[in-house]
Amino acid sequence: MLAHQMALESPMVEAEMVEAMEFPELSERFHVSGVPQTTINAGAGTVVGAVPEDHLIHEIQRALRS
Amino acid sequence: MVNRLLNEDITRQVSEFFQQLQEPVQVLFFGSKNNCDYCEDTRQLIEEVVGTSDKLGLSVYDIDQDAGLAQQYKVDKTPGMVIAGRDGDQILDYGIRYSGIPSGHEFSSLINTLVVVSNRDSGLDQQTRDFLSKLDKPVHLQVFVTPT
Repeated sequence: MLAHQMALESPMVEAEMVEAMEFPELSERFHVSGVPQTTINAGAGTVVGAVPEDHLIHEIQRALRS
Repeated sequence: MVNRLLNEDITRQVSEFFQQLQEPVQVLFFGSKNNCDYCEDTRQLIEEVVGTSDKLGLSVYDIDQDAGLAQQYKVDKTPGMVIAGRDGDQILDYGIRYSGIPSGHEFSSLINTLVVVSNRDSGLDQQTRDFLSKLDKPVHLQVFVTPT
């Protein structure tokens, strides 16, 4: 939901909700162990659990620097 | 007659909740005839949801037959959905997608996403909006969820 809100807000953001059990290969590739798990730019960053906006922003910033 | 996925209670609640919708939303559904266990249920689910408000529209596509369109909207899995805005004939792609069936807990997330897109307002904190407005690199978020 937060990811979708960010996608609406910014043309630079795309957000895809993935039902983990239907796509086990993708879930495995990104080592999904708990949900929700947010993967940023194909693994440049990862956030596990539902987090507040500033936390996700912080992780996005970190992923963009890496 | 096909059994409905949403019972009368839920349908009424969703329909009442959708009275706040402002602008048209178009859901682009992509299914497949091959190895897609949840395509039919997902299509039926979104059809029932879209049917609760005249602000919501649904287009149904096949990821193979409509491969060009799937590529344009970056849909690479089925069932896949794009939650887009609509302005007349124009589809406004915000980069909002679902892969897999949005059931269980994800059902309420779907309903909320439809509201956010219809109202064209993310509802995010000002600080978050400021950060996003300065983004100069693409950010692709994939949120892994399970139905329960």
